[in-house]
Amino acid sequence: MITQDALINYVRTALPDAVVSVTDRTGTMDHFSIRVVSDGFKGKGLLDRHRLIYQALNEPMKDGRIHAVEIKALTQDETK
Amino acid sequence: MSASNQTIEGNIKKEIQENTILIYGKGTKEAPRCGFTLETIQFFEKYGYPYQVIDVLNDMPKRETLSKMTNWPTLPKVFIGGEFYGDTDILDEMEKKGEVKPLLDRVFQKK
Repeated sequence: MITQDALINYVRTALPDAVVSVTDRTGTMDHFSIRVVSDGFKGKGLLDRHRLIYQALNEPMKDGRIHAVEIKALTQDETK
Repeated sequence: MSASNQTIEGNIKKEIQENTILIYGKGTKEAPRCGFTLETIQFFEKYGYPYQVIDVLNDMPKRETLSKMTNWPTLPKVFIGGEFYGDTDILDEMEKKGEVKPLLDRVFQKK
């Protein structure tokens, strides 16, 4: 279990400009769906974007605070 | 790298080569034991091409080797035509752009 704020902070350590929206998929605050908008993804393929986020969330995923996370990773331009 | 790790990696490479669509997941095709593995199975069911599911739920050494090989920490892990494609987060995006069917047609034609 992790708070939304803590999760967002982990993402922002890797991507300081990230706008992160978090959905709790199960009501237990450990299965999430997150949408991350950041220009840090520019020029990166989908696999590398997701790798970046997994690396940022490595700690809470390893210690079990996050069980599962579904990811959407977009640049600013791609949201338009 | 230890000898046993090399064997594990060798086995994985062989499995990837032998199965045009390969899902490393939790549970089997008949009895998936994780929502994401089930989603991945349902994803490939639509396309009608054969796919293989290999259960690695209780095989920690193999899971660790797979994560190192792909630089990807989570399951399931999908390989198509010998290439790593992540999971349905990636495949759903590709599908929206109409990229999945041409990819599958191409890799199955090559066989």
